[in-house]
Amino acid sequence: MYYFMRLTRSLEERLVAWYRQGRIPGGVFRSLGQEAAAVGSAYALGPDDVCSPVIRDLGSMLVRGAKPPQVFRQYQGKAGSPTRGRDLHVMFSDLGRGYLGHIAPLGVMLPVIAGVALSFKLNREPRVVLAYSGDGATSTGAFHEGLNFASVQRLPLVVLVENNGFAYSTPTGSETVIEHLSDKAAGYGIPGVSVDGNDVLEVHQVTRAALEKARSGNGVTLIEAVTYRRAGHAEHDDQRYQSKDEIAEWERRDPVTRYVDRLVTEGWADPGKLADLDHRVTSELDQAVAACENDPLPDPGTALTDVYANPATAEPLWYRSI
Amino acid sequence: MATGAARSAAPPAGLSRDDLLKIYYYLRLTRSLEERLVNLYRQTKVIGGLYRSLGQEGESVASAYALRDGDILSPLIRNLGAMLVRGAKPVEVLRQYMAKATGPTAGREMNVHFNDLRLGYLGQISHLGDMVPVMSGMALSFKMRKERRVGLVYLGDGATSTGAFHEGLNFAAVQRLPLVVIVEHNGYAYSTPTSQQTAVARLADKAKAYGIPGVTVDGNDVLATYEVAREAIERARNGSGVTLIEAVTYRRAGHAEHDDQRYQPKDEIAEWERRDPVTRYVDRLLADGWARQRELTDIDQRVISQLDQAVAECENDPLPDGASALASVYRTPSSAEPLWYRRV
Repeated sequence: MYYFMRLTRSLEERLVAWYRQGRIPGGVFRSLGQEAAAVGSAYALGPDDVCSPVIRDLGSMLVRGAKPPQVFRQYQGKAGSPTRGRDLHVMFSDLGRGYLGHIAPLGVMLPVIAGVALSFKLNREPRVVLAYSGDGATSTGAFHEGLNFASVQRLPLVVLVENNGFAYSTPTGSETVIEHLSDKAAGYGIPGVSVDGNDVLEVHQVTRAALEKARSGNGVTLIEAVTYRRAGHAEHDDQRYQSKDEIAEWERRDPVTRYVDRLVTEGWADPGKLADLDHRVTSELDQAVAACENDPLPDPGTALTDVYANPATAEPLWYRSI
Repeated sequence: MATGAARSAAPPAGLSRDDLLKIYYYLRLTRSLEERLVNLYRQTKVIGGLYRSLGQEGESVASAYALRDGDILSPLIRNLGAMLVRGAKPVEVLRQYMAKATGPTAGREMNVHFNDLRLGYLGQISHLGDMVPVMSGMALSFKMRKERRVGLVYLGDGATSTGAFHEGLNFAAVQRLPLVVIVEHNGYAYSTPTSQQTAVARLADKAKAYGIPGVTVDGNDVLATYEVAREAIERARNGSGVTLIEAVTYRRAGHAEHDDQRYQPKDEIAEWERRDPVTRYVDRLLADGWARQRELTDIDQRVISQLDQAVAECENDPLPDGASALASVYRTPSSAEPLWYRRV
């Protein structure tokens, strides 16, 4: 799990560097400070389970086997990306590895995921879906409809709400009245539990228990992982609504630092081993960057491929003839 | 029941004897008006469906009775009783159901889909739950203008599963708006029983997810419902925010007259008939000496003759003229030639 948290953080640091060089079309939405919530939970999934990440769950996708070159190509919109340059950042699926690309409007994945879970139940497969959500998304109609349906149908679903304190610039206190988002579970007749989202071991343990509950036919659990996003909504966000003291406070509770401290203190890993992992991550990312940095962008002539059956391709500047 | 010595106990909840009789009048008017509509429906004089509130009149009338002038009500399809309490006229309701050109929407909208903002009720959007964000907006305007007015919005058990309900209620709650939300839990969303709708034990439990109080009340106990509604309305008026009320009741006439109710067991319907809100209210008034049988019978007669007059007044009103189909739809053309749509 240390490897995946380090990989997530370092990969995003490379993306930030590119972003500042103007080499990323679109935004970079970091998960700085939230890596434990994504990695710890995804690490509890079984091989045939499915997860539904949202924008700050790069960590969960890496745990499931997404490869850094794929992520780099997505962010740079390369022709060889998993979506052939048509979709950005982490919006790509790999059903073989068990993750779905997300739909950007928040909450919308809940009904989709409920459908996936329903198929598992109807097919009597011992598989579970883990759906991620933000705090703001819990106020959306789609979240409500999807979760209510999954709950009353007792589907094999675990919902992990990453409460990082803000929906863009809206603090959670202006979002909804209740303080602990796990209390929203009462509205669906399911259990809700809050965990320290920056404690990767606690996240892992609670998620694993919820997944097994779902797997054994005992329905949905809502987990609230309390965490914080230190890099704002995105790289283009100046975070003026986040006080520097608050950010500093949460830096002191950084999930990676805490985990390292724990591993070393308990004698579960020695610093040398962790440093080796850091090197491994660095060289892996170096190789990944080298592998795709100069890959081509999509050819405009292919703009209509996979959009229409006919024409399957379009001439350059085709739209000017409309 | 005995008409002997009246009890010295005062009627509950600050109601006067006069109020109690008025409430009875509205209960009886709602039920009898719907019975007339059923007759007209069977004569094919009603255009569209007929969605009775048989068995639910108690909570509809009682809750609306707790509103004050200036408050705004958002009724749903089974809240004819609430609309009548606010002052909707039977003749208008009849004209709506019969799609008469002389009706409040000039024959363009059906059944109870009509407004009177002066009297204080909105016409509903059919899609359940949709009125919650709308009424949150109304309540927001009251708060921003510092008016001591309250919004009251109804919805059904099924509507609590909708996204619109969720978004509207969460917003109203976090903004502490002067809004009261009444869930009329009548056991079914069309043919879906509540047990297949949602996993909570009590619909009032859903309030916890919004950080607001949730109250369950016997919706077929007129006075209990009145008290709970009044308390919530006054809480809202005093700036203490939203309350969710679950009024437990039952719809004995199915989803609509075109519904054969095959999914409702006959003994379940019979059981709820024994708990009929109007019968229970009458029994209470008489037993506690707050009304005499004669007064109630007089009201029954009054209702009958009021409805007779209303039906006579509008039964032969014309339907809308086809050429006026586009009036109030587009600015131009403001009228349409016959079969205009064939040219589109």
